[in-house]
Parts: sequence; structure tokens; C-alpha cells
Amino acid sequence: MTTHAIEARRVPRWAQFSALALALAAAAVASYLTVTHYSDPASLACPDTGVVNCTLVTTSSWSVFLGVPVAVLGLAWSLVMVGLTLPRSWRTASVALDRARLAASSLGVVAVVYLVYVELFRIGAICLWCTAVHVLAVCLFGMVLAARAVARPHVPAPV
Amino acid sequence: MSKSTNRRVPSGRRTTSTQSAMSTGSTSRGRSGRDRTGTGPSAQPAAAGLKGFRSRHPVVSALVPVALVLAVLATMVIVKVTSGSSAPALAASRLAGGGTVPAVDPGITALAPGVAAALEVPAATLDNVGSPSSVVAPSRTGENQILRGTDGKPVVTYIGAEYCPYCAAERWSIAVALSRFGTFSNLSGTHSASNDVYPNTQTLSFYGSQYSSPYLDFEPVEEATNQVVGNSYATLQRPTAAESDLLARFDAGGSIPFLDIGNTYVVIGASYSPQVLAGLSQSQIAGQLANPSSPVAQAIDGAANEITAAITQVTGEQPTSIANSPAIASIAKSLGA
Repeated sequence: MTTHAIEARRVPRWAQFSALALALAAAAVASYLTVTHYSDPASLACPDTGVVNCTLVTTSSWSVFLGVPVAVLGLAWSLVMVGLTLPRSWRTASVALDRARLAASSLGVVAVVYLVYVELFRIGAICLWCTAVHVLAVCLFGMVLAARAVARPHVPAPV
Repeated sequence: MSKSTNRRVPSGRRTTSTQSAMSTGSTSRGRSGRDRTGTGPSAQPAAAGLKGFRSRHPVVSALVPVALVLAVLATMVIVKVTSGSSAPALAASRLAGGGTVPAVDPGITALAPGVAAALEVPAATLDNVGSPSSVVAPSRTGENQILRGTDGKPVVTYIGAEYCPYCAAERWSIAVALSRFGTFSNLSGTHSASNDVYPNTQTLSFYGSQYSSPYLDFEPVEEATNQVVGNSYATLQRPTAAESDLLARFDAGGSIPFLDIGNTYVVIGASYSPQVLAGLSQSQIAGQLANPSSPVAQAIDGAANEITAAITQVTGEQPTSIANSPAIASIAKSLGA
């Protein structure tokens, strides 16, 4: 059993709150995309006459993955990340939670790479709001990695 | 107990906790770990250097995966930009007009062999078909100012959607008519929605096509695919402001198909019943275009003649070979030319 756990370390508060802020921002944008997906995709506040064309992206056949709208998947992912980056979660001494945080943020980045590929090479248009979520996901991934790197060793008080 | 165990296994880790920062502790862990695993002496300096860098710059080291991700994304963008558009190009006139970007349309397929060539129906066949009574003629808009593109040529605007069975029918006639004035390329095959009236009517799509003509510009807009998304169809293209204005002026109900011929004539809805095409493949439809007695030719070619006659009215009766042909000259009179 590996022992490289974050449980014996303390993540600085700035890293905790930065990660949470990024996750909340991603959840907010993903919520907006989800709402417009189910109401009126054309109502997205986004230009749609050039390379940037949110409607073309969000209504394309690629906007649904395994029967689930990508916007919904993005919202679900960002909510999971919100839960994993709450201060309480950072304080929890659990190897599993640390791994889940790393895995979830990695999954987000993998999804970003796939979705950017689809936008560039399959649809031929870029969705600004989707790109916002992509940027936040990459930043969140970086923040999770940085938080693990700067986590200070925690010395339990002598009993 | 568990914490004790966790700290015990990598013995060096206990050492780190007594030091002020992670840096020196990491180095110490690395060395002791390497020594135990039997890494060769030659690898030790490099490994130690790497460990040292990681120790001195833990955040930078941790962000290497992020840098790799950014490199992948940047590579994709560069490949996309430098390779040009590998996606189907839109009609040139539409690109020039600042239309939507090329994209892959999941609703289209390659046109069946021979269909594109069959759109160039012999003039004698078209004259023979004439103007069947079952075909609806274009309506005059009452406008006197012919809509022209930046190149000065009259503009023919089509607004439809791939799911729409009436658009499926009308596209055949539009393509036959326009093929007399110019040349299409990159036409695709498609069909109307399977859950609408006249389901799966076989047709062609103007999406991604190009059209060139010395007499006119053609601006097609396929608003949606035949792919169901939610309770609607996936958006494909959106009319420009000018095209929307045409729709608002001459087609208040927003019905499609909508065909505007130089602002002077419009066709709203299909010029004939899509029922004529029921059960026929693209090849079967195309194969009947040159047979003036077939119901398909009567419908498609007849509607094409109506459109052709209207077009000649905005091209200044050019080319004369078409404008002066018996069928077109006759129809042009009835159009109120």
C-alpha cells in the first residue's frame, strides 16, 4: 500500500480557496450551458457568425455523449469538483479523497482535450462558453497538482 | 495506527517531517529510495539532479502535466490553422458574405454516383416538360430593385433545412435550374426526417456545396440537419441579417423552403408534392430527370423551368440560349415579365 498520502500534509489556504473558486466558476458556466441546452440553445450570449459559434457547437451531434448532453456532464463534473475542493475535503485525512480529487481533475482535462479536438476538427467552430469551462478545468487541474506539491508536512502534536 | 504505518514505510518520509520544507526532505527520500532499489551508479547523478530540481521547484515540477496538456492543445490549434479547413467548404458566396463556418454535418452523405451529372438535364427534355399544371409558379414580390451581390450579379437565396420534406423536393428543382446557369460542386446527399410527413424523402443538400456562375450568385442556407436533438433538429446554419430580412419581408410566416430570386420572385414552400419522390432513391430520382414523361421529371423539371424563367428575369434574360428557349420564354410571359 503506497503511503504517499496527502493526509499527513496541509494544503495552504490559498490553494484550497483558489481551487474551490475555479470549481465554482466552472459549475456556474456549466449551469448556464445546461439551462440553455434545455431551453433555447440559440439564446447563448455568443457570436455565431464566424469561427466562434456557440449554437453550432452546442446543438451539434457531438453535444450529446452516450445519450447525455455534454453540458450536463460538465455540470456534474464541476459539482463533483466543488465537493472535492471544499475546505472540509482538503482537511479530510483520506488517501481516497486525495486520489479522487486528482483523478477527477485529470478526467476533466482529458475531456477538455477531446472536446477541443471535436470543436476544431469535427465541428469547425468554437464555443466561447465551452472554452471558458475548458480553461477553468485546466486551471483546476493545475491547482490540484500545485496544492499537492506545496502541501506542508503535518507533524502530529505529541501525545 | 494507520498514520504510523503510512509514515513508516518510506522511512525517509519521517526525516522530511522534521525539516523546514519539503525540498531537502524530498532529496533525501530520493536518494535513499534509489539506493535501495539498486539503480546503477551512472544514473545517480541525473536522478539526483532531477530530484534536486523537484525539491527546489516543487510547484513547477508539479505543473509539468499542465504544460503537456497546453502543448497538446496548442498543437491542435496550430495544425488546424496551418492545414486550412479540412471540413466541407460552404458555398463560396456564403463565405464571402460572412456566413457561418464550415462544419461537419452528420446528416449528409456522399451523393450517389451519377446524380450530380444527371442534374444537367438536356434542354430538349426541359422544353418538352414545359410548365405542368401541377407545379406552383414563383410569385412576384412587387419589388423593382433586383438584389445583387457585391460582384453585381443577382442573388438567389435559398433557406431550408435538411429535415424538411418540402425542402427535399424543392432542392431537386433548384439544383436543376441553377445547373443551367452555372456549376455545382461538393453537393451532398441527404434525406428528410424519418418522423415527419413524406419521411426520408431522398434529396441533396446544399450544405458544404459550392456554386459558380457568370450570371448569378447562389446563397443557400440549410438551417438544420435531419438529426434530432431534444425535441428539435440540430442547428446547421443561421441566415445572415440580410437573409433574415428577406424572410421577414416576403415570408412572414417563416415557412421553408424559401427561395428568393433577386428580390423579384419568391417561392415559398415546395413547388410540387414530395409524394412524387416517395420510396425513390437518389439514383432513381436522378435517373428519371431526363425522361420527360415520368412523374418525377414532370414535377422536378417542371418546377425547375418555373425557377429558371424567374431567374432569367433578374439576369437580364441572360444567357439568351436559355431565356429564348420555348418553355422558358413561355413561362416568363406568364410570370408577368
